[in-house]
Amino acid sequence: MNWLPPIVPVMASTLAVQFEALFWYIALITSLAAICVYGTMLYFCIAFRKSANPGPTPRILGSTRLEIAWTILPTIVFFSFFAWGALIYTYAVHPPRDAMEIFIIGKQWMWKAQYPNGQRVIIGGNPRNMTPSEREKIGKLVLPVNRPVRFTMTSEDVIHSFGLPAFRSKMDVLPGRYTTSWHIPNRIGEYDILCDQYCGTWHSLMVGRVSVVSEQDFDDWLNGFKPLQGSDHPVDGSVAQEGQQLFLKLQCIKCHSNQKNNKAPVLAGIYGERRELKGGGAEIVDDDYILESILKPRAKIAQGYEPIMPSYEGQATAEELTALVAYIKSLRPGGTPDATDRLPAPVGAPTIRPEPKTTSVEKN
Amino acid sequence: MSTTMIYSGPAFAPTPPEPPSAEPNYLNHDYSIWSWLTTVDHKRIGILYLVSITLFFVVGGIAAGLVRLNLIAPNGAIMTEDAYNRAFTAHGVLMLFFFLIPAVPGVLGNFFVPLMIGAKDLAFPKLNLASWYVFMIGAIFGVWAILAGGIDTGWTLYPPYSSRSAQSNVVPGVLGVFISGFSSIMTGLNIMVTVHKMRAPGMTWGRLPLFIWSLYATSLIQLLGTPVVAITVFLLGIERVFGIGIFDPTIGGDPLLFQHLFWFYSHPAVYIMILPGMGIISEVLTCFSRKNIFGYQAVAWSSMGIAVVGFLLWAHHMFVAGISFYSALLFSFLSMLVAVPSAIKVFNWTATLYRGSISFQTPMIFALGFVVLFTIGGLTGLFLATLGTDIHLHDTYFVVAHFHFVMVGGMVLAYFAGLHYWWPKMTGRMYSDWWSRLAACIIIVGFFLTFIPQFVIGYHGMPRRYPNYPPEFQIYNIMSTAGASILGLGYLLPAFYLTLSLFFGKKAPANPWAATGLEWQTASPPPVHNFERTPVVVCGPYEYAIGADQMGRALPEAYDMVDELASGKRYNETVTNKETAVVG
Repeated sequence: MNWLPPIVPVMASTLAVQFEALFWYIALITSLAAICVYGTMLYFCIAFRKSANPGPTPRILGSTRLEIAWTILPTIVFFSFFAWGALIYTYAVHPPRDAMEIFIIGKQWMWKAQYPNGQRVIIGGNPRNMTPSEREKIGKLVLPVNRPVRFTMTSEDVIHSFGLPAFRSKMDVLPGRYTTSWHIPNRIGEYDILCDQYCGTWHSLMVGRVSVVSEQDFDDWLNGFKPLQGSDHPVDGSVAQEGQQLFLKLQCIKCHSNQKNNKAPVLAGIYGERRELKGGGAEIVDDDYILESILKPRAKIAQGYEPIMPSYEGQATAEELTALVAYIKSLRPGGTPDATDRLPAPVGAPTIRPEPKTTSVEKN
Repeated sequence: MSTTMIYSGPAFAPTPPEPPSAEPNYLNHDYSIWSWLTTVDHKRIGILYLVSITLFFVVGGIAAGLVRLNLIAPNGAIMTEDAYNRAFTAHGVLMLFFFLIPAVPGVLGNFFVPLMIGAKDLAFPKLNLASWYVFMIGAIFGVWAILAGGIDTGWTLYPPYSSRSAQSNVVPGVLGVFISGFSSIMTGLNIMVTVHKMRAPGMTWGRLPLFIWSLYATSLIQLLGTPVVAITVFLLGIERVFGIGIFDPTIGGDPLLFQHLFWFYSHPAVYIMILPGMGIISEVLTCFSRKNIFGYQAVAWSSMGIAVVGFLLWAHHMFVAGISFYSALLFSFLSMLVAVPSAIKVFNWTATLYRGSISFQTPMIFALGFVVLFTIGGLTGLFLATLGTDIHLHDTYFVVAHFHFVMVGGMVLAYFAGLHYWWPKMTGRMYSDWWSRLAACIIIVGFFLTFIPQFVIGYHGMPRRYPNYPPEFQIYNIMSTAGASILGLGYLLPAFYLTLSLFFGKKAPANPWAATGLEWQTASPPPVHNFERTPVVVCGPYEYAIGADQMGRALPEAYDMVDELASGKRYNETVTNKETAVVG
């Protein structure tokens, strides 16, 4: 039965467990009720069919006792649904004080997330509707397992709804005000983010991924050590992304480009690798190695290159150097940007996008 | 059963003679188009409504077919996303505003309210004609919006998308809804006044057929609710055209205000759609099980209860829309309350079958199908009224399946039950028994196959209004589309056999089902002024056990009418021809 999804979809949060218990409780009670009604109807239809019971029929007008019984009994059962549902809802809408806050911004047609340390990720949306630079940054919403996170959400245009089926929750995202929801993800894995409130042409492509990772991985990622968000580029607002800006500004890119050349090595993917050094010997590339290579480039020369790199001693502050190191660490093969004469836009600058064409929509 | 009583002797007048077929009747007294377009006869206006809503049902059904066809592939089989959005909006707007809301009050209500209470016409015949014209003007705007490229907002029209962002024909669509709302108010007013003022002698409130009670409750909602949606869509139009900030927060509005106003009407509106259907079911179940309704008072008052409590639930559409915690608790609590009268009705209908003499004519098959499907629709509503489950199921296919079970499995089946029940009275012709039973079975089976898979994908989280969906849902969507094609076939059949019956059907007697209501005590089709003499009512509506109609006369023995007609036997051979009398 591989072609059928599992009966119970994957549960990835504490809320999901509570939801399933209540869902199946209601399902059980309502199924019993339906079976009772249908069974009775079927029995009456067979036992009192015209050929078996040609009449006359008894003149039964009703029964107050029965009416009272089948008014009170459903009322009690329905209120048990209400009470249990209210308990879960109370849990779902009251985040604990220590929950980590992540801002979620919805717009036609993408989701963006901003973490407490300022880093920002595009966590889903329709790529056809984005600028090339936005498209490169589509990643995932990275969350730590077993730690409460609170989403504070708003919209830049129309109403969206931030739906996380694996967490059994959704909350509308409104322009001009904040709504919140919160979760304790309890299962490592990757799950869907869906927009649940109709928001226009590409409503159904306003989807993304949430990635629940271990606490250690999450902290590493937040500190810029792991590209867990899944995009080719460092997360906006992260230390590594600051390093990327410097990498371009200081013209490192001129020599350390994404093309193999004889002036300087491609830096993508070197972190943690063993480098053969000119004149014999080898060294593992770590933070110190990178820092030394920036400040004292002639101390160790990689095999196959000439010592032509100038020292950047005094050209970058200690903080900037840290950012550069973080960026070089985060570079993955193929991730080096194209060399360009234009400087990158400062962090937080508005992006200009062509007007979406709604009349002539290309098919995917 | 404490109130059981078996009838044991004649205490009523003998069976009346077959009323002479009226010459002329309301259909043949004038054939000109002009006479139809200027008629103030409630029966002819009912037929006008029948023709127009059938048209919208077909167009809305085609839109549904396109939507289902597109969903067989995870990225859309036949349409762009934009076209898909327009298709489901057209389906929603046409089916809700131009089919479901006017269906029973406009067609069967107009036609049968005066006949069932023994009146010559509705209280305001000209207003009644005006309501049809207003409805058609609204419909022209709706059709204009669709022909000019469609609307892509969904039938719920949520701003600021609809007021600021949508590039489609929102304004003509909204005008269509606005205008047709007045027609709904006119019909509601007319029926309410008619029930109050035009009842035949002896037709007390306690003797009203339950169909009348349910339409009375419906009229209450139409009168009190429809003005609110008119205001709402009017404000939306003002915001869209003139940029006055009412709902759009960037110009000072509040998007939740729209949702409150919209659902304040649109939630009760689902009771406008389902309540008249419930009335039909009470008529049909009693007739074909030859029983009094079980708990007349309970069924009648539960209609009124639904109508009143129905106004207090609107925000259960907004549990995840950003309303306050306490209002969510309150509205969840109140939503549970409305489930109770619906449950009471289902139990009473089931109990009505007890010790009956049940035959499975087409209206009865539809009615039993209604009870089965409506029960599922109602029970799944509990998942959505419960806060803890709604936060996941909201805006998924679970909701889609739930309201289609109530609106299509419930309301459309009830409408078909009513249409088949009263077709002989409306047209004077019998339709094919075999084909109609077959159609009823196909519709019920096709319906199940269409919408049961949608509960599953909804529970798995597939959102509404998604032409692109995760591929693991494809198998369920294919199942649903396969079911929809069976359902579509089922809907096509009545179009054929009902049309054929007009030309080749056997002539219907006055009372082919041996039913008790006053509408059966006049010729089929009825004369222009409904009754030769004003009927005098002496008893309640469902005295099948005694075998007396509401005028206290014996029911004809022609209960097997359809079979006899099929076997070529003449109807009136068995009918005695004694003088009509009334038992006081």
